[in-house]
Amino acid sequence: MSDKQAFVRTAVASSPNPDDMPLTSAMETRSLNVFYGAFRAVKDVDLTVYDNQITALIGSSGCGKSTLLRSFNRMNDLVAGARVDGEVLYHDRNIYGPGVDPVEVRRRIGMVFQKPNPFPKSIYDNVAWGAKVNGYKGSLDDLVEEALGQAALWDEVKDKLHQSGYSLSGGQQQRLCIARTIAVKPEIILMDEPTSALDPVATLRIEELIQDLKTRYTIVIVTHNMQQAARASDFTAFLNMDEDRAGRVVEFGKTGDIFTRPEHEETENYITGRFG
Amino acid sequence: MIQARRHFHEELDQLVGQLTSMAQLAGDAVGKAVHALLSGDVDLADLVVTEDQAVDDLYSSIHQAWLETMALQTPVAVDLRLMSAILHLVVTLERMGDQATNIAKIVRSIEGLPQEPMILEHLREMGDLVQPMVSTAMEAFVRRDLGMAMRLPEMDEPVNRLNRSMAREIANCGRDHDLLEWAVPMLMVSRALERVGDQAVDIGEQVAFLLTGEFQEFTRPDTDDGR
Repeated sequence: MSDKQAFVRTAVASSPNPDDMPLTSAMETRSLNVFYGAFRAVKDVDLTVYDNQITALIGSSGCGKSTLLRSFNRMNDLVAGARVDGEVLYHDRNIYGPGVDPVEVRRRIGMVFQKPNPFPKSIYDNVAWGAKVNGYKGSLDDLVEEALGQAALWDEVKDKLHQSGYSLSGGQQQRLCIARTIAVKPEIILMDEPTSALDPVATLRIEELIQDLKTRYTIVIVTHNMQQAARASDFTAFLNMDEDRAGRVVEFGKTGDIFTRPEHEETENYITGRFG
Repeated sequence: MIQARRHFHEELDQLVGQLTSMAQLAGDAVGKAVHALLSGDVDLADLVVTEDQAVDDLYSSIHQAWLETMALQTPVAVDLRLMSAILHLVVTLERMGDQATNIAKIVRSIEGLPQEPMILEHLREMGDLVQPMVSTAMEAFVRRDLGMAMRLPEMDEPVNRLNRSMAREIANCGRDHDLLEWAVPMLMVSRALERVGDQAVDIGEQVAFLLTGEFQEFTRPDTDDGR
């Protein structure tokens, strides 16, 4: 046993971790591979996303973060030539299994995109649209207020609900998109670089919002911004490309551990800016 | 390997270089202070007190650079652990310089008093033991050598033993008031040297944290009767 192994073993044995608490799985991937035609973009991913936790996916450009994220709600189905091997288990059922309705999957597992993409409709209709399509029977007014409230936008728009969604600032538009996602009552929200088009203040507001949302939702966020992952997430998965350019999860763990004492040299080199 | 944060890592290297210089000054100051005590060289003792300003200046300089680096570079992983270790070391080394100054100030206060050769011999021995501990600790830090760092508690044991025996030796000075007036400050010298040994062990603990991400004291509290 090396000096380091012996030292760490003794240190861990003498320091119980009070932060450890039971976590339940919201979603799990098993031997997940994603292909675009013959090209394998994501390789052999076994990853657990925990309930009411924020999981960040980090890694360099092209390592498969967004592809992996989109496979969590079958968004890749919409890409010609895309194919998935393996399983994505949600409530113990493979979302790629026979008889699973991808539209229902996307209702339960919503997505917020890189650029705010409100519909060319009023603020109200942007939020109410999904519920209307799904035949929502309750009060749309209440639903809109609740969703905008959870998205920390209500106070800013309550007096102009019938103005166009395009009249809002970029940060407000992104919160409107989050409200639109929330309004169809998902369990999991996927976010693909949700602040990359926003200024620093709008970015911090979204990060704060994400923290508030995790009491109700499970969140998975792809980010290029490592400090954002450090600030805003509970768990972090680091992905890297293999020589065949397929992305794989190198390390997954609590964000505090990943950013202070990662186990893998590859992770350490990436987050400290020493690329191998 | 591509260094995407080359300037930042050069800043870290500079901080480590400054810290090494500070350790050299503090360790030398301990050696000079003990030599001044053994030889009764008051001028050398005064020089140790004066030169402590250089240690204090390095403390201020490293501390300022450390703050700026933390604020501007937001280090993570091994870089964050290195920054944490640097902050511990800079405080430890500043205090080591203070211990040398404490010894040096005693030299003038006991000028002309009778001495007990055995006590002086034991203090010389303690000085000879702690100086290599400081250089070993810093070498372990610079070379990132966990095994070397973990040898420090063993090196500290004879220092602790000599310190523990010092009270009895002073009591043995009997009722000679002049001798006692000389001997009592020697207890403070002994304590100062024992602290320097502890500080070297503290540096070793930081080396272990830097390399493993785990912090634990090398010497367990229930077996530690010398610290």
